[in-house]
Amino acid sequence: MSLERGHGGSEDDQVLVAEYALDLLEGGERAAVARRIATEPALAAELKRWRQRLSTLDGEFAETPAPTNVFSRVEARLFGESKPAGWWNSLPLWRALAAGSLAVAVVAVGINLMQPRFDAETTAMQLVAALQAQEGSGIEFVAFYDMGTKMVRIMGLEGQAVPDKDFELWYIEPNEPAVSMGVIPVDQRVEIPLDPAARERIGEGTVLAVTLEQKGGSPTGQAQGPIVAVGTATPI
Amino acid sequence: MSPSSSADIADLIARCALRDRRAFRDLYGRTSAKLFGVTLRILKDRAEAEEALQEVYVKIWQRADRYVAGGYSPISWLVAVARNHALDILRARKPVADDIDAALEVADAGPDPEQAAVDTGERARIEGCLGELEPAKADAVRGAYLDGFSYEELAARHSVPLNTMRTWLRRSLIKLRECLSG
Repeated sequence: MSLERGHGGSEDDQVLVAEYALDLLEGGERAAVARRIATEPALAAELKRWRQRLSTLDGEFAETPAPTNVFSRVEARLFGESKPAGWWNSLPLWRALAAGSLAVAVVAVGINLMQPRFDAETTAMQLVAALQAQEGSGIEFVAFYDMGTKMVRIMGLEGQAVPDKDFELWYIEPNEPAVSMGVIPVDQRVEIPLDPAARERIGEGTVLAVTLEQKGGSPTGQAQGPIVAVGTATPI
Repeated sequence: MSPSSSADIADLIARCALRDRRAFRDLYGRTSAKLFGVTLRILKDRAEAEEALQEVYVKIWQRADRYVAGGYSPISWLVAVARNHALDILRARKPVADDIDAALEVADAGPDPEQAAVDTGERARIEGCLGELEPAKADAVRGAYLDGFSYEELAARHSVPLNTMRTWLRRSLIKLRECLSG
């Protein structure tokens, strides 16, 4: 290989390295360039320069607030802090569930409010959960999950926002830690896209619960505040 | 999110390398919107971008000791971690071409802090140099870097044959380099 001008090789090589930095090469060609970069310092230096040049475009990535539950999932993965503990072992909750006192009474309301689209292609199951007030909280939500669109739509039916606090939605399966689905407003309908793990786990019988947490949601990935509403997902 | 100075971010990364979880939380708070912007733009699927963001911060925690402060922009390093991870996912989506070697080689070529920084002078220069390209060609360079578009995707988006796009982009890169070295 020629090393013209002593900084990054021939024009062809420089372009190859730029294409490599832009991830435009495929298969064998990419592998060949990667091998050369690993063994030829001039090409490695050229790659570094291209990455520096291109990184000036980083400002064009638009800042987008991340969903609140992401960081708790990161912590759970790194530090293993998602062991079941706390409120979902709450006796009143399970007693209530066992007694069937949380029968889905608001199904019809849920269907009307959510106006589910019965697309021809969507033969997947749809679930609704009425999250009814706990301990006199006066907070009620209804959630609708369409397995076709993989979105949960949730809307507050009763109750008001609490100053300096946020409501956080969780899904719970028996003998599993509750998993946050993020902070939800009481006064508007929101759609929550489900990650692949949640898509796999949420189904008939999954319990959805809303807790009252500090602003921005629980920082630990575990619910810390009181349960204000709870309901079970039921097929419709 | 309040703007954070490079020095602040570099300091937080250094403290992450020392296993300071509070620094990690702070770093997440200050930078997650930017990195979510990266994974979202490249993956164009909210659920996948969230999943990727989670994995990106796991990597940042695990590799914080590989960031070398001094002269280099720490946010560029973080963006490079996010961008490379999102591109790995993009590649995994596509039917695998021919060889496993490529995947191995590229997986090894992880983000290097020194690869990701630029002084303000060079920033102004690359913007000026991109401005000297025809708009469609500058767009193609941006699409390759910011969206992770392949040659096929770029050709389709600009409605030109694949080989034309290759020629466009290669010439644009040569011009860019000349402009930047001039």
